[in-house]
Amino acid sequence: MLAYLAKSIVGAVVVLLMMSLIVFGLQSVIPADPARAIAGPNAPPETVEAVRKELGLDDPAIIQYGRFLSRLAHADLGTSVRTRRPVSDDIRQYLPATLELGLASIALGVALALVMAVLQFLIPGSGGIRLLMVGVGSTPIFLSALLLSYFFWFRFDWLPGAGRLGYRDFAGPTGLNVIDGILLGRPEVSVDALRHLLLPALALALPIGIAVGRSLNGALHEVMSEPYVRTARGKGLSETKVLLRHGLRNAATAPLSMLGLQVRLLFGNLLIVERVFGWPGLGLYTVQAFASADLPAVLGVAIVFGILYILVNTLIEIGQSMADPRINL
Amino acid sequence: MVKHSHRMSSSVTEPFLAVRDLTVTLSREGRPSRVIDGITFDMLPGEVVALVGESGSGKTSIGLTLQGLLPRDYQPLVGGSIRLAGIELVGAASRTWRSVRRRLVRAIPQDPMGALNPTMTIRHQMRESNGGSIEGWLSRTGLPDPGRIADALPHRLSGGQRQRVLIAMAMMARPKLLIADEPTTALDVTVQAQILDLLRALTREQQTAILFVTHDLNVAASLADRVLILYAGRIVEMGRMQDVARNAAHPYSIGLLAARYDLDSDRRRPLITLPFEHVPPVNLASACAYAQRCPIAQLDCTAIRPSLAAASAHGGAAACLHQGQTRFVSAQRVDAKPWPAPAIQATAALRLHNVSKTYPTGNRSFWGRQSQPVLRSVSLTIKLGECVALVGESGAGKSTLLRIAAGLVMPEGGTVTRFDKALPQVVFQDPVAALTPWLTIGEQIGERLRGVSRDSDYARRRVGEAMKLVGLDPVLMDTLPAEMSVGQCQRAVLARAVIVPPRLLLCDEPISAMDVSLAATTLNLLSDLRRRLDMAMLFVTHDLAAARIIADRIAVLKDGELVEVADPDAIVAAPQSAYTRSLIAAMPGPQGGGRR
Repeated sequence: MLAYLAKSIVGAVVVLLMMSLIVFGLQSVIPADPARAIAGPNAPPETVEAVRKELGLDDPAIIQYGRFLSRLAHADLGTSVRTRRPVSDDIRQYLPATLELGLASIALGVALALVMAVLQFLIPGSGGIRLLMVGVGSTPIFLSALLLSYFFWFRFDWLPGAGRLGYRDFAGPTGLNVIDGILLGRPEVSVDALRHLLLPALALALPIGIAVGRSLNGALHEVMSEPYVRTARGKGLSETKVLLRHGLRNAATAPLSMLGLQVRLLFGNLLIVERVFGWPGLGLYTVQAFASADLPAVLGVAIVFGILYILVNTLIEIGQSMADPRINL
Repeated sequence: MVKHSHRMSSSVTEPFLAVRDLTVTLSREGRPSRVIDGITFDMLPGEVVALVGESGSGKTSIGLTLQGLLPRDYQPLVGGSIRLAGIELVGAASRTWRSVRRRLVRAIPQDPMGALNPTMTIRHQMRESNGGSIEGWLSRTGLPDPGRIADALPHRLSGGQRQRVLIAMAMMARPKLLIADEPTTALDVTVQAQILDLLRALTREQQTAILFVTHDLNVAASLADRVLILYAGRIVEMGRMQDVARNAAHPYSIGLLAARYDLDSDRRRPLITLPFEHVPPVNLASACAYAQRCPIAQLDCTAIRPSLAAASAHGGAAACLHQGQTRFVSAQRVDAKPWPAPAIQATAALRLHNVSKTYPTGNRSFWGRQSQPVLRSVSLTIKLGECVALVGESGAGKSTLLRIAAGLVMPEGGTVTRFDKALPQVVFQDPVAALTPWLTIGEQIGERLRGVSRDSDYARRRVGEAMKLVGLDPVLMDTLPAEMSVGQCQRAVLARAVIVPPRLLLCDEPISAMDVSLAATTLNLLSDLRRRLDMAMLFVTHDLAAARIIADRIAVLKDGELVEVADPDAIVAAPQSAYTRSLIAAMPGPQGGGRR
């Protein structure tokens, strides 16, 4: 286990180095000129040139890269063109909202997957569930997010459809409002945060639930015709017990891999969903950064997402080895 | 043990298991087929009844029906009646079935490797069986260090250990009926003998009746009081084990008995086999299912379905219209012509010199895995035209040696020299798995013809010839593997191997999953092919009797080392190593029946 963790940390560093190289390369390839962007569109060429010199943009590439790396090591991701603040400060501000939304949608997605797969297995000939899954699965996320927002907020007004919280000036130690509400002894804040969270999290959870659910369902079908399941049934266990004790755990490996893939897609979907629901997180920040060609901000977010992705995949591999003790990390 | 007369007198009280006119229909891809067709039998407490038949005869389905565990995907339809300890089970609610499985019926599966949950410790799996101390039961099955075994995960245990765990798991529920579905087929002979002893002792102790499902009459004879012979879902003969083994009344039973081979069989001529195998024809409402293969079939056999009637030859019953003529079946067994001597040349087809190989095992540490030697300096030469059998138990390194010979695995030390530049052909254990499901037989056989269009007349002619060579009707060229029987698939695999005759044919346990008559047929076919095509052969097996029949020399492998290489008869008559002696001693003999 220790060896595995050491290996995955080394792996993460290698991946980060490669990412930094790509990010750095992008900076010099993309036609957007940071010097021009900082100096303003109407600045005379001399000013732009001065800014360029000040930023060190006319040094050789290798020196620029070295500088870039050392800044990266100090969590310095540069200055946002749009907000005029250090990108790392911006990320620190917006990350908790995205973490809260992302974790909630992963949890909700996994719950959806479990319910769908188990129901589909216990109720034979459940063509309805299958049809529903195909229907929901084929709806693009920008549409399902809009539909959820339209019906549950605009039309019936059951749930809030914009923002994170109805309480102003609430701030807690973790930045995750649901948890902070409980920590600070204000359960009404947690409830309100949950109500705000529900619609965007559901929009993000649907594709995760469908993909993981289908993978789990397929794996369950295979596992439940294994000889050891017959052995379990032969002991006179009820079908539910057989499914929960012998089926699920053995079927877990493939759907967990699928979850890992879905988390990567989740990062992209966050941009759309946070935009639709006005969720003040990294996704919305990135969309705005795109609109104003804010390259440092976009690249900073990319590095954060990269780290999160490595973290999630390490966790998933640990989860797989816990489900199947034969997988020796 | 239960006497015959006692059974008659006890017919007043209900036997604890009474199966009446049981029929089971399974639907595969929408096509219903009747796998069990009107079966009636009783079992008494403590009785061991063997259920014997070829693969596809429905014997496994009977065992599953008695547990209510027929696969749901096949939409099973069960008719007739099963009364177990006074409870009617046909049409019973799933709650009744569960309570029956908890208290009354348990099973030991065929494949101990797959029958234990790989992600649960033995202790947790055994805890789901009610009754007794787990360590106590494990040690009763002869497992040393039961505490360690209980806390282990299944993949850390050997096949024999797992089968003992499964037996303990079944017996600790103190069932009245134990269904043992080929419990020893997947195990080595020495382990097999121990498991049979264990079953005998445990059931005697607890008065558990065993329904012993097997294709191996030798194994059945060593354990059972009574035998039911099953063909195409019907019982064709039943009676006391000894009676049937000595004086079988049904032509099929006679054929099965004659197809047995052991260490005394005549190896100079082809083995006696059952008449040509078919896909078992079921759904024959008004005919004897065996009529198409029966050597004494007459016109009425295809018009009247024979019912079980008192057998003329013994105290049991047989379903044959012409029981009186069955003695002619034996008379027809004229000895076949002896094999011609194989043309063995002095040149080596394959020369292995000091070959060694290790595999990583055990826990991965920070520095990688430890490695365990599977082969230590093995030297073996196979001459052109010679057949060498490699005998050993699982884990001895047989398959690794074969893969090295085939060029599929590189040895870590030593040299491999082949006479032919072309790689040898390999025949694997499972013929069905060795064929691609979506290509026709003809396409797969023809694939080995290089530079020829697969649809050309020439290719089709070559494929047809290869199929004829292995005894397959060329009409089957355009069928898919799923539409053929296991025996036909094995022939197709062989046809693929010999369409371009290799100088060396490697066979990896080609008969170990087959029932007796199919195994005998395959041994005959291989013996014939290697002589006709002048092939050298490496025949890997754990079955000493089969090795003795097919090979010119036997090499015994133990723990990666050759302990003995000698002439087959010499090895059996005067084994030089203690290991070979233990292999011979463990062969299941037909103790119940007389040797013919």
